[in-house]
Amino acid sequence: MRPLPVIEGADQPFWRALRARAVRVQRCSNCGAYRFPAARFCAHCRSEGFDWREVAPSGTVESWCVFHRAYFEGLEVPYTVIQVRLDCGVRLFSNPIGVEPHALAIGLPVEAVFEDITPEITLLKFKPRNPSQ
Amino acid sequence: MSQSVAVVGVGNTRYGKLPDYDAYELGLWALKDALADCGLRFEDIDGLIVNRIPDYQRFCEIAGLNPSYVSITPGQGRFSGICIETAAALIRDGIAATVALVYGNNGRSGGDRYGGAGDTYGSGGGGLWFAYGMTSPGAFHALMGRRHMELYGTTAEELGSVSKTFREHAALNPAAVMRTPFTLADYHASRYICEPLHLLDYCLINDGGVALILTSGERARDLVQPPVYLRGYGMATALTGSSFPPDDFWRAPMRKAAEKSFANAGATHADVSALMIYDNFTPTVLFALEGFGYCREGESGPFVAQGHLKLGARYPTNTSGGHLSESYMQGWALNAEAVRQIRGACGERQVEDCTFVHYMAAAPVVTSIIYGRDPS
Repeated sequence: MRPLPVIEGADQPFWRALRARAVRVQRCSNCGAYRFPAARFCAHCRSEGFDWREVAPSGTVESWCVFHRAYFEGLEVPYTVIQVRLDCGVRLFSNPIGVEPHALAIGLPVEAVFEDITPEITLLKFKPRNPSQ
Repeated sequence: MSQSVAVVGVGNTRYGKLPDYDAYELGLWALKDALADCGLRFEDIDGLIVNRIPDYQRFCEIAGLNPSYVSITPGQGRFSGICIETAAALIRDGIAATVALVYGNNGRSGGDRYGGAGDTYGSGGGGLWFAYGMTSPGAFHALMGRRHMELYGTTAEELGSVSKTFREHAALNPAAVMRTPFTLADYHASRYICEPLHLLDYCLINDGGVALILTSGERARDLVQPPVYLRGYGMATALTGSSFPPDDFWRAPMRKAAEKSFANAGATHADVSALMIYDNFTPTVLFALEGFGYCREGESGPFVAQGHLKLGARYPTNTSGGHLSESYMQGWALNAEAVRQIRGACGERQVEDCTFVHYMAAAPVVTSIIYGRDPS
């Protein structure tokens, strides 16, 4: 079986939002910095106050790599992992949709694709952003 | 710096597959070897830091040690440099007169995996990304390597030349695990693990142990081996946000650690005879060359391809073969090699008139150590 994220922990609001086709991350109510995964304290101002904010489901590619060695059952190699910075500043690892590795580039604008992998779990993946949008 | 500190003893086990020994026993084997090297006794050790060995109490029980100072550090490669710099501080502060640093690694026989379900690389949050297939220190460095290629035009040939050069050095080192030279064609033909990195861009996984004995320069002069002085050292970190690759390839902390260590060594790049660069993966070597100022930003690819790291060239690097070919001793064996080079004890792979050797590690914790033949 493929590896599944723990959706019931501190990041539950993130996973619930994906299910509803939105991206929500924690936002510090003191300094406004966004963060993910969930943390009690803000790493910038160490404040405890936060809320879960919906953010723009878009970002840019920072790098990528292609796994040829299989580390997990249920994930067929080769597959590509991308490093993405959301426009709100939060960084994520993910997979690209509809784009081959050779067509990836640093700074490539991408937008969210919500991929349901079980009846409860949705992953946040990315496809190249349509230039006209 | 006020009081000088020197490495007076180095020891190591055989390297390879040693299934009959656990990490404690590998550490003790290396420690016996290091004490024999410098003519000191177990009773002379009053400071001890163990690394990757699971428990300091058990280690002391097995080794029959009651040091005044004892500590334990996690099995991450960045800790070799940290331990050495800490040992120097303990000696300078009079907390301990003679410090033993002991490393034991049974990862090969113990079946250690560096990716997949048990992966904790980074700050322990690795499991978060498993659903996307993201795992392993190798993939982290593949992401950094790809970014370097895209930004600066670094090529696979250039990465391959690092690995090929270190293998040529290992061919001259009887202790090295992998000693058969290969061509760039062999490099290209080796399978991808995580593209752009091939198998030959990855360090080995093997069993072994290393120990170093340090004391003050003053005491060192009475011992068997010529002292090798810690002329300069420095540390810097980039830990915030370090679950992800740094934008600057750790250049900022490396610059800081380099400046500090060169300043207190009273030396410059021009004085350095050889380099020992933490080589978990080939791209790390490129990042270190740039960050520590041996070439300019983005120019490390052509720099290595021009052959500057080879024995006989300007900056012979990882003359033992490094982690890529000698032994995966997480920085420890590179520091042992630095000491042996300055002693002039490296046989066929000896660097001529070796006066300064620079050990450096590019990671979220950067360490820089400049070893010197002369006390000042």
